[in-house]
Amino acid sequence: MLSCRGLRKDYVTERGEVAAVAGIDLEIAAGRYAAIIGRSGSGKSSLMAMIGGLSRPSRGQVTVDGTDIWSLSENALAAFRNKRIGYVFQFASLLPTLRLVDNVALPAMLGGGRKSSATYARAAALLGQMGLGDHLDAYPSEVSAGEQRRAVIARALINEPALILADEPTSDLDEQTEIEIMDELLAVNRERGTTLILVTHNLALAEQAEQIVHIAHGAIVP
Amino acid sequence: MRLLASLALQNLGRRKARSLLLIMAVAVASGVVFTGATLMRSIDSSMAVGFTRLGADMMVVPEGALTNITAALLTVEPTDLVLDQDLFAKAGIASVSRAAPQKIARVEHSGIGSHHDSVDLIGFDPMLDFTVRPWLVEKINRDMRPGDVILGAARDAPLGSELLIFGKAHTVYGRLGKTGVGTHERGVFMTFDTLEALAGSVHGHGGGPPAVLQKGKVSGFLVELAPGATPLQARFAILSTLKGVKVVTGDSTMSGIRQGLAALLNGILALMVLMFASTALMVSVLFSAIVTERRGELGLLKAIGARRGQIVGMMVIEAVIATGAGGLLGVALGVLVMRLYERSLVYYLENIGVPFVWLDGPRIVIVAVAAVVMASIIGALGSLYPAWRASRRDPYDLVRGEG
Repeated sequence: MLSCRGLRKDYVTERGEVAAVAGIDLEIAAGRYAAIIGRSGSGKSSLMAMIGGLSRPSRGQVTVDGTDIWSLSENALAAFRNKRIGYVFQFASLLPTLRLVDNVALPAMLGGGRKSSATYARAAALLGQMGLGDHLDAYPSEVSAGEQRRAVIARALINEPALILADEPTSDLDEQTEIEIMDELLAVNRERGTTLILVTHNLALAEQAEQIVHIAHGAIVP
Repeated sequence: MRLLASLALQNLGRRKARSLLLIMAVAVASGVVFTGATLMRSIDSSMAVGFTRLGADMMVVPEGALTNITAALLTVEPTDLVLDQDLFAKAGIASVSRAAPQKIARVEHSGIGSHHDSVDLIGFDPMLDFTVRPWLVEKINRDMRPGDVILGAARDAPLGSELLIFGKAHTVYGRLGKTGVGTHERGVFMTFDTLEALAGSVHGHGGGPPAVLQKGKVSGFLVELAPGATPLQARFAILSTLKGVKVVTGDSTMSGIRQGLAALLNGILALMVLMFASTALMVSVLFSAIVTERRGELGLLKAIGARRGQIVGMMVIEAVIATGAGGLLGVALGVLVMRLYERSLVYYLENIGVPFVWLDGPRIVIVAVAAVVMASIIGALGSLYPAWRASRRDPYDLVRGEG
């Protein structure tokens, strides 16, 4: 499913070049729940960004389902992100001017190809599955942080991606909501067979994962 | 496209105060440009009538001809001497913008007025004329034909009526306004062909028809200077190029005013161009700030699959909607301002002898549409670079607030 070869990310700072990810080789099988753990600044979010096609590596290769994603053209990579990858960020990543149902439908609308009415019906169904059926027309500012995160998960699923990348998705939530959100993500992984990669510094969350990747100083700790 | 337009509209609605300020700023610039362009075009066409009514800058007549210099050079004076009609066309003098040839024959017993009244029959070329037709206060609603005559202000006959000149029927095509110049007020104006057709009936000093009624011969030329040319330069150029001519200069103050106003209008045009350019820069700076503020949102859109074209399109559509609305508002404000100042402006200009002629409706609509389109183009150009720059960034950099 996912393969990284010699993946490296260097940032240029005032004090010279710093390697956020220093040459990582990684394999994650399809349908797995993998957790990438490490301390703040260990390079786990940079690794996740390169895996998800969000940040171009300084060196190395990322292959998702046989596609070398960084060899794709700009538009092809955008289409790949749109169709194959769902993102759950560590911040409330809904557009504030759009209703929840619009936010969820947005990736499908950007990608085109599906009728608007069908897209909205699917968005409403996904929000219903996340327990937000009564909040379709609500704006993000009108619902709680946990409900916003559920809407983000619904948005990640709208195009039925093969891979969900969740970067510290519960870091700003209370314990009860954190459990609920993780339950939703794990349900997606188990019931839909979607590969789930979770970036976290919470070891309790990582313990449920089938594969744990521990990162320190930009490298995998054996 | 609908999705991008809807996103753009929602973004504008999110920051109402900023959007309104942007719309107002563009409205002021568009309003100034629309009002300025409309007034400029109106003043320009008013000047075309008004200042040509002030006469030519100078007159070129045969050397030795007697001339009666008046404040306004509107017609040449009767003389027995003649010049070739194509004198200026052949010479091509740079400091001369236009040279209108005229024939003038002072005749008696023509049938016009009382038996012994002398009448000035004045022939002019409608294609080159700029001192006769601007004075038309009424005319038949068709082009001038052979056999038509235009009467000076001192002569009275209904439009379309028949006027016998030496027994030949002519039609009163139009009437001129009062000029205060005797020759002009008492003259009977006609095309060269119409005047030359009377040659058999007019007797000069030698008994035969006067030389000026021969084809290709004229009494003199009324000359308008080219923009920037001084009367002295033109006089020198004419005298050094054309032989056997005399240059009579009119009121140089009027030439100065005419040329000065033309320069002023060009200056206003340059200021309007600068104003539009500065508005474009302002829009660009504003959209750079908007892009910086919305990096996270743009990064998110890229992350969920928005293509570069969609990011640029959304930002450009947003700018075009705001600046287009500003353009529309500016035109509305401009119309309001022009309505408010219409009376005082027209009164002032007519008081200084410039009859004010507003642009006609369709042309005002064209200027209004042009102002709105220009405002929209400014929005598109101003937002294009910041949007293009943001679209090139990696989504992760934008989400983290970099770039």
